[in-house]
Amino acid sequence: MNSISADAESLGPGYLVQGGRTLWSWLATHDHKRIAVLYTVAITFFFFLGAVGAALIRLTLLYPDGRLTSAETYNKAFTFHGVVMVWFFLIPSIPSTLGNFLVPLMIGARDMAFPRLNLFSWYLYMIGGLFTVATLLLGGVDTGWTFYTPFSTMFSNSNVILTVIGVFVVGFSSILTGMNLIVTTHTMRAPGMHWYRLPLFIWGMYATSVVMMLATPVLAMTLALVALERLAGVGIFDPALGGDPILFQHFFWFYSHPAVYIMILPAMGVVSELVCCGVRRKVFGYKFMAWSMFAIAFIGFLVWGHHMFVAGQSMYAGIVFSILSFVVAVPSAIKVFNWLATLHKGTIDFHAPMLYALGFVGLFTLGGMTGLFLAAVALDVSLTDTYFVVAHFHYIMVGGSVMAYLGGLHFWWPKITGRLYSEGIAKFAAVLMFVGFNLTFFPQYVLGYMGMPRRYHQYLPQFQDLNVLSSIGAGVLAVSYLLPLFYFAHSLYRGKPAGPNPWRATGLEWTTSSPPPEHNFHTTPVVTGGPYEYRD
Amino acid sequence: MNVREIPSLRSQLAVLAALLILLAASAGLSRLPLGWWGLVISTSIAIGQALLVLVVFMRLKSANPVLRLVAVLSFAWPLILVTLTLGDYLTRSLMHAPW
Amino acid sequence: MNVPVPEAALQQQFDDPPQQREAAMLGMWSFIATEVLFFGVLFAAYIICRWRFPLPFVEGSAHTDFAMGTAETAILLTSGCLSAIALRQIQLDRARQSAVLLAITAALGAAFLVLHGMEYHDEFEEGLIPGLRYTQAGPGANAMELFFSLYNVITGFHSLHVLIGVVLLLVMAARSWRGAFSSAYHTPIEIAGLYWSLVDIVWIFVYPAMYLVGSAG
Repeated sequence: MNSISADAESLGPGYLVQGGRTLWSWLATHDHKRIAVLYTVAITFFFFLGAVGAALIRLTLLYPDGRLTSAETYNKAFTFHGVVMVWFFLIPSIPSTLGNFLVPLMIGARDMAFPRLNLFSWYLYMIGGLFTVATLLLGGVDTGWTFYTPFSTMFSNSNVILTVIGVFVVGFSSILTGMNLIVTTHTMRAPGMHWYRLPLFIWGMYATSVVMMLATPVLAMTLALVALERLAGVGIFDPALGGDPILFQHFFWFYSHPAVYIMILPAMGVVSELVCCGVRRKVFGYKFMAWSMFAIAFIGFLVWGHHMFVAGQSMYAGIVFSILSFVVAVPSAIKVFNWLATLHKGTIDFHAPMLYALGFVGLFTLGGMTGLFLAAVALDVSLTDTYFVVAHFHYIMVGGSVMAYLGGLHFWWPKITGRLYSEGIAKFAAVLMFVGFNLTFFPQYVLGYMGMPRRYHQYLPQFQDLNVLSSIGAGVLAVSYLLPLFYFAHSLYRGKPAGPNPWRATGLEWTTSSPPPEHNFHTTPVVTGGPYEYRD
Repeated sequence: MNVREIPSLRSQLAVLAALLILLAASAGLSRLPLGWWGLVISTSIAIGQALLVLVVFMRLKSANPVLRLVAVLSFAWPLILVTLTLGDYLTRSLMHAPW
Repeated sequence: MNVPVPEAALQQQFDDPPQQREAAMLGMWSFIATEVLFFGVLFAAYIICRWRFPLPFVEGSAHTDFAMGTAETAILLTSGCLSAIALRQIQLDRARQSAVLLAITAALGAAFLVLHGMEYHDEFEEGLIPGLRYTQAGPGANAMELFFSLYNVITGFHSLHVLIGVVLLLVMAARSWRGAFSSAYHTPIEIAGLYWSLVDIVWIFVYPAMYLVGSAG
C-alpha cells in the first residue's frame, strides 16, 4: 500500500525553492515540475488570448446583420480562436502541465527520461506562440484553423505562412512531450509498479502520447506543403495542375481527427482519478478502462473522412468512414458506463474536483452522442457546417477537456503549490461554469438544427434570440473562468498549507510532500498494491 | 555494460552485397517493358532492401520487442493513410483534370 | 591501454546505465517513427498523384538522371553498411577504426549531396523545378509539374536530412577518435547509426519512385 513516507511530513517549499530562486533558474530548469509550471503559465495566457477571439465572435453574433465586425475581421476572429485554442491550449494542456508534473511522481521516478528535451519542448511552444502573436499583430489569418486549400494556398491575403510556421513549431513541442511521456513510462517505473498497477491517468497519458507521435508529423508535412505552395507555387493541391484540394483535407484530417483524441484522452485519465477519489472506490473495470483508451487511440486514426462527407470524397469512402465513426464511440461509451458503475450507490464527496468530473461525464456524453448524429451520413449532409457541429465539438472540448483540466488543476493544486484553495468559491465557480457552458452551447444545437451556418458573421433574423442567449451564456462562462484566477492567486499567497495528502487519495504522488522535493522522493518507492485501494 | 551480440563483419558485408545486387536488379529490370509489373517488382525490391536495413543494420533482429513494435507501427501508419485515401480516389466517379 | 574505459555519464534521473541506454533507444526509435510518418505524407501524395496521372509520371521520370540516381543509391547503401560496421568496431573497443568508418560514411553522404546538387543544377537548366523554373509545355506538362513538385519536395527534405546526418556523423567520428566511446559506452554512435539508416531507408523508396517509373508498355 502507499503509506505516507516519513519525509512527506516535512514542510517547506520543495522544488519551488530548491534548484534556485531566480528567474533564470526557472528558465533553465531541468525539473519536470518546474517545466510543468512554466507550461501552465504559458497555457493560461494563450487560453485567455483565444477567449478574446471567442468574445469577438459572440459579440458579433448578437446582431443578425453582424454590424460589429466586417466579414474579413470575423473570419480572422474565428480562425484565431480556433488556432490558439486547439494548438496552444487544448493539445498541450493536460499533457504538458499535469502530465509533466505528475507522470514521474505517479510512477515513482525522479524526473522524466529526457529533462533537457522537456525544457526544449517548452521553448518550442513559446516560439510557436510568438509566431501566433506576431500573426495577430500583423493582421491575422482568415482561413479558418483548418487551412482548407485552395483558399489558404492561392487566394487568402492574410498571414498564412506565419501562422503555419507557428503551428509547425508547436507541433514539435507536442512530439517531444509525447516522446518523453512514452519513454518515461516504459523505462522508469519504480520497483513493483507493473503496468496494471498504474493509475489510469498514466494509461491516458501514454495513449495520448502514441497519438501525438504518430499524427503530428503528418500535420507538419501537410502544413509545410501549404507553405511551399504559397511561397514557391509548388502545388500538389492545385487544381490547375490536376492537384486535388481534397487531398489536403485527407492529410489534414488524418492528423486533426486523432488530434481531438489527443485532447480528450488525457481528460479521461484525469476524470478516472477524480471519480475514484471522490467516491473513494476503485474504478469499475480497470482493464477495460485502460485498454479502451488504446482502442480509442487506434480507431481514432480510421475515421477522419467523417469531416469530409460533403467535401467531394466518394460515397463509398463516406460509408466506410461513417461505420468506423460509429465503432469509435464504443470504447468511449464503455468508459462512461464504467464511470457510472464506479459511482453507483457510492458515497460521493462533492468537492470542486468532483464537480468538474461529474460535469465532464454528463457533458462528454451529450457531446459524444451528438457526434453519432454527425457520423450518420444522411444527417450530416444537413448538419455539416452548421452550428450543430460547433455545439458538438464544444461540448466535448470545453464541456469535456476544459472541465477535466480544471478539475485536475484543482485536485492537484495542493500537491503542486503546497497550498489549499478556497473550496467554497471553487464549488461556486464550477457550478457557474456548468450553467454558463450549457447556456452558451445548448442553443447552438438548436440553431444548427434550424439551419444556421457556421463561420458567417451574419445570419437570418429568426436566429437572433438563441444567439443572444448563447452570448449571454458566454459572458457567464467568462466570469466562471476568471474566478479561478483570483482564488488560485489568493491561495498562492494566503492559502493554508496543504500537507502531503489533503484528499486522502491513493497514488504515489500523495506519498511525498506538498510541494514535492526537487527529486520527488527521498527514497525510491516500492509498490506493492494496485492503484485505487481506497478503504473507508 | 552491453551484453549484446556483436555481428560478424561477414554478415554486414553480405547484406551490403545483397542490397547492391537488389539495386542492380531493380535498375536493370526497370529498363524492360514490363508494364505495371515493373511497379510491383521495384516496390518489392525496395521493401526487401528496407527490411534488410531494418533487421540487420538497425539490429531489429536482436532488439527488444517494444522497438520492433515501434518500427512496425511507423510503417503501418502511412499505409493506413494511403489505403483509406486511395480508397476514396478509386471509388469516385471520374474526375477530369480541368484542361 | 592504461586509459580508463569511458563509462556512460549516468544522468541523475536514471538508476543505472542499462536503463539510460534503454531510454535512449526507445526515444530514438520513436523519433524514427515520426520521421517515417513525416515522409509518409509525401509518399502518400505521390501514390495518389501517380495513380491519377500514370503517363505524365513516366514522362517525368524519364527526365530524371537514371545513372546519377542509381549511383547515389549505391553510395547511400554502402555508407549505411559502413556505419553499421562502425558500431561493430566500437563494440570491440576499436575506437579509432570506428572513427574512420564514421568519417568515411559522412564523406559518402557528402558525395551523395554533391551528386544530387549536380542533378538539381541540370534540372534547373532544363526548366524542371516548379516554383523556380518550370518551362515544360504540352499536354502532360501540368501533371508532370506535379511529379517534379513531389520530386523536389521529397528529395529536398531528404537532402536536408542527409546534411544533418553528415554533420552528426562527423561529430561522432571526432568524439570517437578522441576516445569518448568504448565497448562499455557508445550509445551516441548507435543513435547516429539509426538516424543514418533511416535516411537510407527513405532513399530506398525514393529511388524507384522517382527514377524507375516504368517505360510502361
